Amino acid sequence: MDPLAELKQTFFQECDELLGALEQKLQLLDEGSTDPEDVNAAFRAIHSIKGGAGAFGCTDLVGFAHVFEAALDHLRSGRVALGDAPFALFLRCSDAVSDLVNAARNDEVAPVRPDLLAALEQVGQAKAAPSAAPAAPAADAPPGIAALGNLLALVDSKMGAPAPAVPAKEDDGWDDEPVVAAPVRRLGYDVRIKITPEADLFRRVIEPRVAIGILPAEEIVSVACDLSHVPPLEALDVTDCHMRFEVMLRTALSAEEIVSKFDFTLANEEFEVEVLADAEIETAPAVPAEVPQSVAADLSAILARLGPSADAAPEPDIHPVAAVVPVAAAAVAAAPAAPRAPVRPAANDTVAARQRQAVSVRVDLDRIDRLMNLVGEIVITQSMLVECVRSLPYDVYAKTAEGILTLSRQTRELQDHVMAVRAQPVKAVFQRMPRLVRELAQTLGKEVKLVLEGENTEVDKTIIEELADPLTHMIRNSMDHGVETPEERIAAGKHPEGTIKLIAEHRAGRIVISVTDDGRGIGRDRLLAKAKSRGLVGADEKLAPEEIDQLIFAAGLSTADAVSDISGRGVGMDVVRRNVESLGGRISVDSEPGRGCKFTLALPLTLAVLEGMVIRCGDDRYVIPIASVIETQHLANTPIEHLTFGQEVLRWRGEITPLHRLGAVMGSAGTRDENIIIIAETERGGNVGIAVDEIVGQQQVVVKSLESNYGTVNGASAATILGDGLVALILDVDSMLRLAASGVRQPVPELKLAG
Amino acid sequence: MSLQLSEKHFTSAQPESAARRIVTFRVGDRTFGIDVGMVREIKGWQATTPLPHAAPHVRGVLNLRGVILAVYDLRTAIGLGSTEATATHVIVVVDVEDKTAGLLVDSVSDIVDVPVSAVRPAPDLERDEHGLIEGLVLLDTEIVALLDLAAVIRDGGDNQDKQLRVA
Repeated sequence: MDPLAELKQTFFQECDELLGALEQKLQLLDEGSTDPEDVNAAFRAIHSIKGGAGAFGCTDLVGFAHVFEAALDHLRSGRVALGDAPFALFLRCSDAVSDLVNAARNDEVAPVRPDLLAALEQVGQAKAAPSAAPAAPAADAPPGIAALGNLLALVDSKMGAPAPAVPAKEDDGWDDEPVVAAPVRRLGYDVRIKITPEADLFRRVIEPRVAIGILPAEEIVSVACDLSHVPPLEALDVTDCHMRFEVMLRTALSAEEIVSKFDFTLANEEFEVEVLADAEIETAPAVPAEVPQSVAADLSAILARLGPSADAAPEPDIHPVAAVVPVAAAAVAAAPAAPRAPVRPAANDTVAARQRQAVSVRVDLDRIDRLMNLVGEIVITQSMLVECVRSLPYDVYAKTAEGILTLSRQTRELQDHVMAVRAQPVKAVFQRMPRLVRELAQTLGKEVKLVLEGENTEVDKTIIEELADPLTHMIRNSMDHGVETPEERIAAGKHPEGTIKLIAEHRAGRIVISVTDDGRGIGRDRLLAKAKSRGLVGADEKLAPEEIDQLIFAAGLSTADAVSDISGRGVGMDVVRRNVESLGGRISVDSEPGRGCKFTLALPLTLAVLEGMVIRCGDDRYVIPIASVIETQHLANTPIEHLTFGQEVLRWRGEITPLHRLGAVMGSAGTRDENIIIIAETERGGNVGIAVDEIVGQQQVVVKSLESNYGTVNGASAATILGDGLVALILDVDSMLRLAASGVRQPVPELKLAG
Repeated sequence: MSLQLSEKHFTSAQPESAARRIVTFRVGDRTFGIDVGMVREIKGWQATTPLPHAAPHVRGVLNLRGVILAVYDLRTAIGLGSTEATATHVIVVVDVEDKTAGLLVDSVSDIVDVPVSAVRPAPDLERDEHGLIEGLVLLDTEIVALLDLAAVIRDGGDNQDKQLRVA
């Protein structure tokens, strides 16, 4: 992959995370959060997306994000009160941004949303008027140019000298917080801010005018630009920033507040805030607010003079997040007093900030898989060692055994850690659901609140990926069939707004995910009638209410009267069941008519390692997942009945349970001598007896795919490698039963009944 | 059936300089070859785990450094019955259509460079080998049959009862 494509890939990955954060923060705000940090985080997210999008030339995305950002900025600056903000609109906009990101990712033409754009622009217009902040006289010039012009004019007039270094920054119209020179005399004290940006300022996609523009324009007394650090033209790299600024501020803001204003743009070591005494500074002359029309012309002249390198856009940092990581504001005394030591964030804060940037590393999933494979190898090698050591003479054995014991403990630990690396919070899937619910609610005309719980429950990455489809189906099902329309709900004496709860939790070594709605529940009569009309249930068959509920998982059944976009084709829940079962999980439903419905998914935590019982049949060994085993018992003590066609059944806990001889079903080599019956559970909740020769042991086994190099094997879900390096098949009880039923099996040998 | 190589088998559009590097191996008294690029490694016989109800030429699966791959008995595939595998037998590990597979043979003999023009199309064998042979190469002393590995793995063994008769 060429480097740019790779960077782009990284950008889109980050977009996904940023969009998640954006949506989450907006949701919190919508629910009444008043934490300014939530607003800031949302703003930062959209700002970062915009920054990256600009770098990769996604113009549609930049355009939309820009308007969105501007609207959010009104919140951030307090021009629009949090209580008045249209968060529903913002949430829809975040969906639209997500669409635009996807379109950009797939090189498709993005859908333009003029309706949303217009609504967003309204946010600023309608609310800005009553606020005290002066409107930005952007004039007719493009906003970016105008703002830059403002800055130039400001610097120019206050220094009394031209400021030719600014054009090194090519303007692309990203940020247009205008610097407006309209000094207003107000109470406060004078503050000198020295800005000494690092040379890579532009490459971090920060512009000086943005940094300075964050200060309240009316409080800026003067801005001076120190160009003494600009190297001779031949040594000049226009992507480096050589400017130093000194901003005089007469303000009521405390030093901390000023420091925190630079959070977004400047690193702590790049600026100093110095509080001066009241009287020390003479009021600077007022500066014309109008930008001379000539500025733009001057600018292009300067750009032209700088030659072709001037259009070398500052290399964008592909980690815009890093560039805007909020720096903890240093605790600074704010009382206005005589000249005091420059306020500078403590050094260890900077270190802490750096450390925070380094807490996570992006790693290719393939590498983790390879690591996992290696750990699996070590587990196998170690069990091989254990077998070798047994044959050593005693004195050597004792010493070696001790070492091996330590090794096995460390291996188990290593395995746990690698598994933990693969583990990811289910949040990755959960955070897609609010959007789904929002969109469906709009389509269906229902009011639904989605409650997420246990988003931080961690599951193996492979499972996370497979969860999205089943969950989407389940939520759609609840939205469409479960939750009623507001009118129906009111008539039923419920709150007009329905609630769907999506909960993830760990339970007994599995992850359990439930989708609960407070809707009408499963319409059993209709479901049963439908099932009968399709011949899934005999016309005279009597089913328990719970059994009827389970019919929802049968193929081709839907109780919806009309087939809609959302559901109703009856391909939903049986697909969900199949997906879940292919992951080694189970799904069940509990319904209470009129009160709601609860779907529960139980999945293994990982697909990579499972606890298995190693058994032997003839010469062959197999592994049965412990999760399927209910009980083991001696064959000799079990009463067995023979039915026709060689079918055997046994009585177990008062029930008739079919018995299969594993060796016969799987065609094991060697002579068989069945001694043990394993009672196993099938996916449908039934039980089956499996006769085997011997239980060899119980151990963790590493699951290895048979499909990748061979194909599906009837009766087995996968394979594993045992301590002696040989392969053993991992039995899939249901698949084994199908194999047994297909009749492709060897004749059942005469039954040996002991005693 | 006797194998008559007619004149047209010798003509080829390929330039003389293009050469194929072939690994040759023996099953019984027959010599087979595959392109060296397909061979990942060659290892001694190792016990396999049989798969339930697999085709006869599928010997089972084995563990090659943590990867599970199926081993195919070439002798069974060409209809000469099952190999009594011993320590002297060899598994040629090959890459076929993005899968890795093992080919059980008697021994690996040589690596030879063969001009592309010397590869003749497989004669139209009526009943044998079911298109398992992609082409033939005449070396000094023997005929090397170039295997179509994908076909060997896919449907070798269908003709288990048929005897190979190439004069």
